[in-house]
Amino acid sequence: MIFADFESFRASGATAKVCVIGSGPAGTTIARKLAAAGVPSVIFEAGGTEWSEDSQDFYRGKTVGDPYFDLDVTRLRFLGGCSNHWAGWCRVLDTHDFQPKAWVPDTGWPIGRADIEPYLEEVHDILELDAFRADVPISDDIRLVQLIKSPAVQFGEKFHDEIERSPLISLVLNTYVTELAGDGRRITGARIWSRDRDAGTFVADYYVPCTGGLENSRLLLWSNQQSNGAVVPNAAALGRYWMEHPQFLGGDAILSDYSIFPTDTTNEAFFSPSPAAMEARKIMNFGIRLIETPYGGVKQVIADLACVAPDFAEWAAYQLGQNLRCAAQLYVGWEQAPLASNFIRLSETDRDKVGVPRIELHWKKSDMERRTILEGLRLFGETLAARDIGRVRIADWLVNGEDYPTDQELAGHHHMGGTRMSDDPEKGVVDRNSKVHGVDNLFIGGSSVFATSGQCNPTTTITALACRLGEHLGGIAGA
Amino acid sequence: MARSAAVDLSRRRLIQALLATTAIPLLVSLPKDVDPNAIVEVGGWILKRGDLK
Ligand SMILES: Cc1cc2nc3c(=O)[nH]c(=O)nc-3n(C[C@H](O)[C@H](O)[C@H](O)COP(=O)(O)OP(=O)(O)OC[C@H]3O[C@@H](n4cnc5c(N)ncnc54)[C@H](O)[C@@H]3O)c2cc1C
Repeated sequence: MIFADFESFRASGATAKVCVIGSGPAGTTIARKLAAAGVPSVIFEAGGTEWSEDSQDFYRGKTVGDPYFDLDVTRLRFLGGCSNHWAGWCRVLDTHDFQPKAWVPDTGWPIGRADIEPYLEEVHDILELDAFRADVPISDDIRLVQLIKSPAVQFGEKFHDEIERSPLISLVLNTYVTELAGDGRRITGARIWSRDRDAGTFVADYYVPCTGGLENSRLLLWSNQQSNGAVVPNAAALGRYWMEHPQFLGGDAILSDYSIFPTDTTNEAFFSPSPAAMEARKIMNFGIRLIETPYGGVKQVIADLACVAPDFAEWAAYQLGQNLRCAAQLYVGWEQAPLASNFIRLSETDRDKVGVPRIELHWKKSDMERRTILEGLRLFGETLAARDIGRVRIADWLVNGEDYPTDQELAGHHHMGGTRMSDDPEKGVVDRNSKVHGVDNLFIGGSSVFATSGQCNPTTTITALACRLGEHLGGIAGA
Repeated sequence: MARSAAVDLSRRRLIQALLATTAIPLLVSLPKDVDPNAIVEVGGWILKRGDLK
């Protein structure tokens, strides 16, 4: 059932045991799993069925530290959430991404990849993915990995008819949950704003914020502030350990045989380090995206190579003369170290039109990350040279320790952390079942629960975690 | 036909010009016993020592 606003939902007399907040990939998947378990839920979605300036305005905020996207541009506030503009690149976090890295504090999840594996078949159906190809080691250090470029399922569109027909899912549009109320052990209600007015409080047995990797922190920080800490009693990590996947053009490569790596339909190939290489260099995970260089750029790369390795450059120039592809740009994206000093807090001066403080995002890339990309490109370059399949040139800004370029994409629009998963309530907000520590009926969906980010795009893992949480909640709420 | 020949010609010239670039003799006096397969980093390039000739 789909309702245009809270008033029509209330008038319908529909009931729900679980209150899901947000209709993006996380919220939609959880509600569908609950329905499969026979548990009625309601999804409150702040926006309507289309993008609107008015709704996006609630997402405005401020960033302090490194340059970042405008917060009302990097996400979408309407049915389906950010799945309306995601690129559809998919990969699941690797086994080692869940494990602690002894050389980086606060790494490691309380669950492992095996805990989400049972849900991957379902995730493949939801996201319309073919099976993943196994990683191919090209040296002890570097693996060719697969990132599936999927059809980029838009959740609002794909599941619209199914939800409309469902007697167990009520999707309520134009309904903003401004605040949760609690007594320190349970959530007692959700404060609702719908169609430009206060619509009172909605009560359910369970509550699941799925408002995105920035907004989950905002909702809980504000709820906690309003209730004197009775919504998230263990709030040491709330809003903290926020992470992105920064990405920049980090270098070029000349390849002796362009066809040595199977590239995808857009002539790209992806590489990541082995766990042993990360440990040896004491770095985080990273992904190198190899893209064919446009002709003009190749000449410059070969000219530069001629200065240091004339024989190899001569060969490359010959290839170019034969119109053969021989050069590639290397984009590098990486995993940030989880730091409590990267955090979301509530603005003291700026509020949305309902009066909820806007986000102030404090975010900076660390020295560890700088080392990760430099050492990562070195590992890749050493692999290509040792196997005589190419040579790598690391970009000047990296070699010379200059600032990050400002004319590039900056990051992946992947908003992670803020309500991270940990067995330790001092280090995390949710436990291994995505339940908020110390609160019986509050669970969280989405990448805000990521303890670390790995190097790959998050939505495949978000969807798997949502299947897991939906099944878990279905078991409890259906009992 | 004539147009594509012109494109080919200018591409060939470009490459000839590129190859005429004098290589900077970075390691003029390489010790004789160095391993040509050893990895070196020169000006951001990750190379084999044997490339530097
Ligand atoms: C340009 C771009 C490209 C991307 N490309 C990729 C990619 O290729 N691969 C990948 O894996 N990921 C990609 N992502 C990230 C991906 O879109 C997100 O990871 C994913 O959408 C997160 O799902 P979610 O359900 O947690 O949150 P969202 O999709 O953000 O959904 C949250 C929902 O909650 C609603 N909401 C917010 N606050 C409230 C409230 N208080 N009350 C009620 N409702 C509320 C919002 O309107 C929204 O519908 C991309 C993102 C962007 C911006």
